[in-house]
Amino acid sequence: MPLLEIRNLVVRYGEIEALRGVTCAVEQGQVVTLLGANGAGKSTTLRAISGLAKPTSGDILFDGNSIAGLGPEAIVRMGISHVPEGRRVFPGLTVKENIMLGASNRRAPTSEISREADAMFDLFPDIRKFTNALGWTLSGGQLQMVAVARGLMAKPRLLLLDEPSLGLAPVIVQAVFKIISEIRRNTTVLLVEQNARMGLSVADYGYVLETGRIVLGGKPDELWGNEAIRAAYLGGHAKVSA
Amino acid sequence: MDLALQLLFTGIGIGAVYALVALGFVLIFRATNVVNFAQGEFSMVAAYLMVVAIEAGLPYWAAFIVALLGMALLGVIFNLGVYYPLRHRTYLPVIIATIGASILLANSVLAIYGPQPQVLEGWFETPGIQVGPVYLDSQYLLIIGVTICLVIFNFWFFEKTLLGKKLQATSQDKEMASLLGISVSTMIMITFIYSAVLGGLAGILVAPVLFVSIQMGSTIALKAFAATIIGGFGDVAGAIIGGLALGVIETFGAAYVSVPYKDGFAFLVLIAFLIFRPQGIFGERVAEKA
Repeated sequence: MPLLEIRNLVVRYGEIEALRGVTCAVEQGQVVTLLGANGAGKSTTLRAISGLAKPTSGDILFDGNSIAGLGPEAIVRMGISHVPEGRRVFPGLTVKENIMLGASNRRAPTSEISREADAMFDLFPDIRKFTNALGWTLSGGQLQMVAVARGLMAKPRLLLLDEPSLGLAPVIVQAVFKIISEIRRNTTVLLVEQNARMGLSVADYGYVLETGRIVLGGKPDELWGNEAIRAAYLGGHAKVSA
Repeated sequence: MDLALQLLFTGIGIGAVYALVALGFVLIFRATNVVNFAQGEFSMVAAYLMVVAIEAGLPYWAAFIVALLGMALLGVIFNLGVYYPLRHRTYLPVIIATIGASILLANSVLAIYGPQPQVLEGWFETPGIQVGPVYLDSQYLLIIGVTICLVIFNFWFFEKTLLGKKLQATSQDKEMASLLGISVSTMIMITFIYSAVLGGLAGILVAPVLFVSIQMGSTIALKAFAATIIGGFGDVAGAIIGGLALGVIETFGAAYVSVPYKDGFAFLVLIAFLIFRPQGIFGERVAEKA
């Protein structure tokens, strides 16, 4: 049984049908990437999983239990942590405080949460020196590190990452993806990316989303192998390095 | 000089009341992005609760606790009845609802208690003490003392506790807070309770200095609102500094320029700020802590 299974998911924003019957699955221990152009419905899929968007129809199964229609607070308590597009680090809180709040989905003494937050800096050494800096003072790459660290504080069984490379310099993108490949040892990851090359480089499986529908799914080399598909959905003819 | 010191003391005393009400404004504004136009009525209702409890024969301290518990309850009712049903709407319906609640509260008290202003005794038996050239009125001393304690408490609560951090997170980005598992509706409930109690405390503290009347709420709220703009809207430190500054300015204005225009000075300062520094004293920071 897959850890996450999405069946024929439809999400409407008023008149607009953002998802028109998405079906896909994420196996335990995998990194699955969701690729597609702007407006294809990638973020909406993640928002529906984490409870920010209410499904119009269809179902979302986590560990075999339906979570469609539950609120975000309930879903994160079940073990799905969503690092949304744009990082959304609280600007008026410090880096440490931001990371500590990532544990709000579980009951633990403040001292323990504080220790765990300190331990996070071992995985993200680049932001250690900003421990007490306010969120708004950080750069995009640093914010992304804080956002991922905060997402991991929930001790999720499934981590949803939305466009972690967006707006970052190539060298920072490399650093972020290095972290993703470390995270995958303990956590299942569903990764949304516009940067198909980076997304597929860490993924076990990929789906291509087009105007609210999954049009293709396969292993990274299969997706890259198809010339027409590569040109149409994955943007360009660059050779994948992984 | 002696007069100036005396005026400074009185000004800070009355300014502290504005600061407390302004703090209530700011906390609700930050949590909900809405100005609560019933914030002044919280002060008025608390003062009446105090009067009623004392008339019922309760000792002062017990009446005080009853009044504050009543305010906490009012905060809950206000949240559930005024804010919660409209929370997914734009700010406009919510603002109109708070104005409606303010009219409802004022007229409910009017209907129950009648239009005659009431007198609430101060906490202390002794009216005050003479320190050198300055006469320290005991009620003003109490107001200043309680306000200092509350400002310290407020700082500790928002800066040193995880709950305070969750409240801040909620006021900065509700959707993200909910993604982390923070119960946004609980955080907003706490904000309303806290703001209602703050407003209530201000009303109870200032009642012995003024009369307890239906209009006391709107008078205080107008000044407190001006204080939040002077301090920088949405800024906690600004609300406190703005409140104190406004109290001192209007007291000096009344003494040295014109008593009948006492209330006018507050708004003169407000207009000057709106023209020359609309962002207020602390308004320029990109982001700040609560």
